[in-house]
Amino acid sequence: MLQDKIQDVFNEPGCATNQAKSAKEKKKGCTKSLKPGAAAGGCAYDGAMIVLQPIADAAHLVHGPIACLGNSWDNRGSKSSGSQLYRTGFTTDLSELDVIGGGEKKLYRAIKEIVQQYDPPAVFVYQTCVPAMTGDDIAAVCKFAAQKLGKPVIPVDAPGFVGSKNLGNKLAGEALLDHVIGTVEPDYTTPTDVCIIGEYNLAGELWLVKPLLDEIGIRLLSCISGDGRYQEVAQAHRARVTMMVCSQALVNVGRKMEERYGIPYFEGSFYGVSDMSDTLRTMTRMLVERGADKGLIDRAEGVIAREESRVWRRLEPYKPRFDGKRVLLFTGGVKSWSMVSALEGAGLTILGTSTKKSTKEDKERIKKMKGEEFHQWDDLKPRDIYKMLVDNQADIMMSGGRSQFISLKAKVPWLDINQERHHAYAGYDGIVNLCEEIDKTLSNPIWRQVRQPAPWESGPSSTLLAAE
Amino acid sequence: MTDKLSQSADKVLDHYTLFRQPEYAAMFEKKKTEFEYGHSDEEVARVSEWTKSEDYKAKNFAREAVVINPTKACQPIGAMFAAQGFEGTLPFVHGSQGCVAYYRTHLTRHFKEPNSAVSSSMTEDAAVFGGLNNMIDGLANAYALYKPKMIAVMTTCMAEVIGDDLQGFIANAKNKDSVPADFPVPYAHTPAFVGSHIVGYDNMIKGILTNFWGTSENFDTPKTEQINLIPGFDGFAVGNNRELKRIAGEFGVKLQILSDVSDNFDTPMDGEYRMYDGGTTIEETKEALHAKATLSMQEYNTTQTLQFCKEKGQQVAKFNYPMGVTATDELLLKLAELSGKPVPASLKLERGRLVDAIADSHTHMHGKRFAVYGDPDFCLGMTRFLLELGAEPVHILSTSGSKKWEKQVQKALDGSPFGASGAAHGGKDLWHLRSLIFTDKVDYIIGNSYGKYLERDTKIPLIRLTYPIFDRHHHHRYPTWGYQGALNVLVRILDRIFEDIDANTNIVGKTDYSFDLIR
Repeated sequence: MLQDKIQDVFNEPGCATNQAKSAKEKKKGCTKSLKPGAAAGGCAYDGAMIVLQPIADAAHLVHGPIACLGNSWDNRGSKSSGSQLYRTGFTTDLSELDVIGGGEKKLYRAIKEIVQQYDPPAVFVYQTCVPAMTGDDIAAVCKFAAQKLGKPVIPVDAPGFVGSKNLGNKLAGEALLDHVIGTVEPDYTTPTDVCIIGEYNLAGELWLVKPLLDEIGIRLLSCISGDGRYQEVAQAHRARVTMMVCSQALVNVGRKMEERYGIPYFEGSFYGVSDMSDTLRTMTRMLVERGADKGLIDRAEGVIAREESRVWRRLEPYKPRFDGKRVLLFTGGVKSWSMVSALEGAGLTILGTSTKKSTKEDKERIKKMKGEEFHQWDDLKPRDIYKMLVDNQADIMMSGGRSQFISLKAKVPWLDINQERHHAYAGYDGIVNLCEEIDKTLSNPIWRQVRQPAPWESGPSSTLLAAE
Repeated sequence: MTDKLSQSADKVLDHYTLFRQPEYAAMFEKKKTEFEYGHSDEEVARVSEWTKSEDYKAKNFAREAVVINPTKACQPIGAMFAAQGFEGTLPFVHGSQGCVAYYRTHLTRHFKEPNSAVSSSMTEDAAVFGGLNNMIDGLANAYALYKPKMIAVMTTCMAEVIGDDLQGFIANAKNKDSVPADFPVPYAHTPAFVGSHIVGYDNMIKGILTNFWGTSENFDTPKTEQINLIPGFDGFAVGNNRELKRIAGEFGVKLQILSDVSDNFDTPMDGEYRMYDGGTTIEETKEALHAKATLSMQEYNTTQTLQFCKEKGQQVAKFNYPMGVTATDELLLKLAELSGKPVPASLKLERGRLVDAIADSHTHMHGKRFAVYGDPDFCLGMTRFLLELGAEPVHILSTSGSKKWEKQVQKALDGSPFGASGAAHGGKDLWHLRSLIFTDKVDYIIGNSYGKYLERDTKIPLIRLTYPIFDRHHHHRYPTWGYQGALNVLVRILDRIFEDIDANTNIVGKTDYSFDLIR
């Protein structure tokens, strides 16, 4: 079952990387097998949680020993305007006896207790390594529980060992396709209903975009899954157009929704001025192609013109401050190219970007934009990053939390652009937020302090630094 | 043209301000009515009230399958923390790859420091055929890539379910030249489905000591004047371990901390990235066998290790996260007894100052009711300190707490009139604590960052005094042990009490008759 699913995900025709592969390579799958003994990223379970946890009013129950939930509950900055239930950590906390005797009964009782105590619209049940190995059939338990308790109970079959975070993202998408999407009919639909996939409302980013959609007259029918509600996700199949934000993560959902419900999809980004405008244009154009009022396009252009002029005006003060400042950008996927264009627009110089999570198209785009000379690192070792920083090749590094300390310990300013960030960088306002944060980081007096030697350490090299 | 949104270039609003603006309030309201399909506000309010009742508490305590908001983590993270306290040691987590990413992040979010650890990255194939090859390749890669002085191997559930034999695997890997034959590779089996992080800590320390001290009983090793000390899993390790070393210095005792993470989790910003820093050296670890005694600061973190030390002919003594005057007295007396040296004058002075400080502020502590949660040892130490201050520990809860622990807490409570209203709750979670607090009110909650939801729901102020603290910075750099540590803890609690009084008396013309300058 799970193997078939994984194979299916590996064969995803919507993914360009996959399409370029031979049949044999496809079978091998897209998860690069990890090097044992090297530092590793998150697992498939983690990936599944990332995608589904933002569905705020559902209960998320982790079927496994304390490990999986104990270290991860409420660990992402995905915001909800309503229910906060998603922040609550539920686990079956499997013990040795459950490993020996099986945990299915305990799982059912746990689901029942959650339904009785919280009455959520749905319960998501996450499979983890141990019960997957001992053979707990969570799909059967969920089905039974759903019938008995009269609630959707969704099995998410992505135990950690099957692969990477990215694979987990996709398997979570499959769970939505199999059990959630299409199970609820919206009260009403409009010709401008859209579904956004792969936007998690980290630090409230969706909320920086949503008012613009409202103003243009686009109705966000469903977001998978930022500020998500279960019912909202379940009615995604009535959208007129789907937008894929994090294309690598959930391309299977977009493509299968097209296949099943005939909803066309496009890949877009909310990061950066021109990408934000492109996204609004594509979204409105596709809606109009599907029968929405043509006026939509004019309204979108109006908003774009106003917002672009507004954002450039707002970025102007940063330009002289950013002049000559060099940025190392370590981020994944779509963000790699859309961030580059946004930051250059604000006057920064981008030295290079990581493209570990980027698709072939992402990389092509960067090449087209920046030329062959521009650095695109697929797999840069921490040691090499550190070396670049120590050699004073950059003024600021922007990355996720895991490489944070490489930068800080090398005395180079660092800015968090990953899931733990506290500021929203999406949309036109987001770019201003980002520049504000970069400016604060670059101009903080501590960096001068950090780079200067202590007053009692005098020598030719230190005076040189002090004069800088 | 006017800006439609509240966000403007002149003043970039933070998220907590921005999303409160009227246009967002309207947007959220619309979302609620159109997409939430929730219950009515009245129904939500009714049920919310009900969850605060005795009736709900009975149902909540009848829960047997689901654990909600647990205050424990798994064995491997404890084992990893233990290993990181040894010089140049790379923790190697044998099993599936995601776990180690969680542990690293968890520790980093608390200590605001990087920490190194790797995984053998077992996949489905390894689950079927066993993880031997992952161990062989993994050790070789880790050794070549990160140049450690020691690799400490621990396991995730996956390897434990298959039943991978670490001892055999490591021997095999050494035969295949993954690492040199004399390179130290201690190990511990750390299944997450048994015990919690404190058991993992115990297992790893024992594994490392076994590696250097040998497995057979040996009562005849010549003993020196040295005293070993095992701190246990402690979020305040940076401050505490340094404080212990300072106390030993004052005493003139040769104190050897076994697993000292204080430098590893507090590296300076001087342009050098340290994969490892400080820690108990391998030589010191070997030497520690000859110490006359080993002390444990946290009984429940060292059950097996202390037994092992005993078998090696050492005297042992255990404490339960000693905080406060009496607990510190006991620790110092033990050091005096073992070393034959008197308690130094400088520490006597510190004691006097601490007692003076408590006396100065005791009226504010007297009779205040507290809920305390966290690891078993922390709960015991905190309970005893509160009793000493004339405060009343009411709910003492630990997800890792056993029946034995409950009895221990009860004994501490029984020893003081201030303990009369207290009770211990072992094996319970934070959702249980929520019911306890609603049905039997307290004035303050002592715990970690996860308690902020209890604080939000119950409106009872939270004091963060145990791991993990994600949402406040740098507290772990201050000790909580010793007389100085007790003073820090006292001040943290008092600050919260005074802030609370101020916050409750600051309405102009209404409550500010008590908004006093002098408290």
